[in-house]
Amino acid sequence: MTKQKTEEEKLLQAVALLNAKSMGLVFGILLGLLIFIATNWLLVKGPQMNRAGEYVIGPHLELLSQFFIGYSVSFAGSIVGFVYGFALGTIAGTFVGWLYNRIVIFRQR
Amino acid sequence: MTGGPGSRNGLADERVVIIGGGPAGLTAAYELSKAGLKTIVLEKDDIVGGIARTVNYKGYRFDIGGHRFFTKVKAVEDVWEEVLGDNFVERKRLSRIYYNSRFFYYPFKVTNAVFGLGVWNSFMIVVSYLKARAFPDLPEETFDKWVSNRFGKRLYELFFKTYTEKVWGIPCTEISAEWAAQRIKGLSLLEALKNALLQNKNRSPEEVIKTLIDSFHYPRLGPGMMWETVAEKITRDGSELVMNADVCRIHVSDGHVESITVRNGGGESELGGSHFISSMPVRELIGSIDPQPPDDVVKAANDLKYRDFLTVSLIIDTPSLFPDNWIYIHDPGVKLGRIQNFKNWSEEMVPDPKKTCLGLEYFCFEGDGLWTMSDADLIELGKKELGMIGLCDPALVVDGTVVRMPKAYPVYDSTYRQSLATIRGYLSGIGNLQLVGRNGMHKYNNQDHSMLTAMLAARNILGASYDLWRVNTDQEYHEEGDAEDYGLSEYEALSSTQPRVPESMPKPIEEAIIRAFARLDKLAFALSLGTASGLAVFFATIFLFLKEGTQADKYLSLLNQYFAGYTISVEGAFIGLGYSFFWGFIFGWLFAYLRNFFTGIFIFKIKRERELSSFKNFIDYI
Repeated sequence: MTKQKTEEEKLLQAVALLNAKSMGLVFGILLGLLIFIATNWLLVKGPQMNRAGEYVIGPHLELLSQFFIGYSVSFAGSIVGFVYGFALGTIAGTFVGWLYNRIVIFRQR
Repeated sequence: MTGGPGSRNGLADERVVIIGGGPAGLTAAYELSKAGLKTIVLEKDDIVGGIARTVNYKGYRFDIGGHRFFTKVKAVEDVWEEVLGDNFVERKRLSRIYYNSRFFYYPFKVTNAVFGLGVWNSFMIVVSYLKARAFPDLPEETFDKWVSNRFGKRLYELFFKTYTEKVWGIPCTEISAEWAAQRIKGLSLLEALKNALLQNKNRSPEEVIKTLIDSFHYPRLGPGMMWETVAEKITRDGSELVMNADVCRIHVSDGHVESITVRNGGGESELGGSHFISSMPVRELIGSIDPQPPDDVVKAANDLKYRDFLTVSLIIDTPSLFPDNWIYIHDPGVKLGRIQNFKNWSEEMVPDPKKTCLGLEYFCFEGDGLWTMSDADLIELGKKELGMIGLCDPALVVDGTVVRMPKAYPVYDSTYRQSLATIRGYLSGIGNLQLVGRNGMHKYNNQDHSMLTAMLAARNILGASYDLWRVNTDQEYHEEGDAEDYGLSEYEALSSTQPRVPESMPKPIEEAIIRAFARLDKLAFALSLGTASGLAVFFATIFLFLKEGTQADKYLSLLNQYFAGYTISVEGAFIGLGYSFFWGFIFGWLFAYLRNFFTGIFIFKIKRERELSSFKNFIDYI
């Protein structure tokens, strides 16, 4: 068997392991940006009338303040939301990467 | 030379006998000479260089086959530089295929091929290729099927069938597919992926391939110049080179070669030695061993086959005929296989600038009709065929000569591997005999790999322990691809851990590529994403429940739209966990599946391109 074939086989049979730290960073940045952009998007759109006839900005996203203390649908809130989103995303991503690797290693035993 | 490593190791008194004065034999002598050991090189012919010799006929020099000097083996390149220095010329490659009274660029150029073959033929080639890809002819046991399945039957019949059969003298249906797979390796998948990934940062794959195929180095006086210089150097250092020395018996006793009997100038003499390196054809080697090896070994040796070769060299009274270095003749109407234009390899090969020297190459078997033809008849045949294909007016031929080269190519037929295994098994019991080179190992090595086997054999005498049979087997070797540093130091570094495996270390970039293209474990990714999202909803619910009790329901009315039965409560937290796990699992599985799917498509595309790239220089491997 040639080296070339062995390498090809290796390539085709290899199962990826994730870098948990990188995964955490990616998830963190994505979630942070998602909240930041979503908040600013609502600000750009401006107030919308609700069922009660009141003008409000982002009533649904405002719910995040229940979890992210200090968050509001405002520009300052978008930055706070980015920080919270980044932190939560990093934890979640790292956890996903770590758990994935454990399962892969377990399955390969 | 005294005081070299040889004397330091106490090896200076060792007597090394080398059979064969071709690239392998002379390289072994050269390496040992550099280490302070004197050798005796026995050459059967009256000229050194083996198949890499340069014949001199009235000042016209010609090469037996055309030897481009390119290699991925750094140690070999170093020897070339060391020996010839500035005596190399760099040549642009131009080689075309002559078929059906037309010339086709080789490596192929699409526009030239379409123009030459016509639109209909080109269309049918594409159809035939697509058909071969969709419905390959299985099982793929023979060369014709192997090629047809990769490039389509029509291309195979147009460009590969006739030439392959001319070279090997047997129908393509009798050549094993294994030979094709082994010989025509093309670019490795990892190399292709690396090129694909790095093409913006470095060179594109086309550029990488182009660099080594489109130009090459060549000694200004032909490859023989290299071996004549090496012969001079080793004799100057005290080694002995005996020409016209025919090894007729090899005396083996107690697992050692004791001596050999050499016929030289009508007399016979016996030559003793402590180490023996043989580059003589394996069949002849086994036939020379005394006492005769076991019957199965003798039979195996007799089963090894060779393809022979003759060059009709013609001197033409014209300064230039065509710009190619060589031309492949695929036309079935002539016996001619290839034409070399030596002036286009190096101007110094031809002494008179008003003349041209062509080498007409005929592949044959020793003793067949072509081989036994007289030189005069062969020259007439060459002139006639040159006229038939319209390359030259036969009246312009002013002189010519013929060189016959027996056993030019070891044949890889269906039995050679088994035969060679039997022979290797027997020879492994002879401790001081090493086989090197193309015919010496019955391996279709190019010059560089023949030299490498000799270098390693020399190192073995100096105390190393390399398995020469692994050269050109485990090593990547492609004409295209980047030039890797296969210096001998690499082998030395390996020898401590893998004493008989001179192979290259896995390269970090290749490992990184394998990691980058490895598939995601769908189940593991689905489970981990499901667990993470399930836990996120679970803890969010518990957090809200503890903070605001059931009042918090109003905040999560949205989630209720998707998770029926979900509430802000401990029970709801578990329900939310279940739902989120489920959706996270589905999303994770789908993500991993799609990621693997598209990565697979990418790899498949690169693999196809790689196969097609091997088509570009396919004939060079035949």
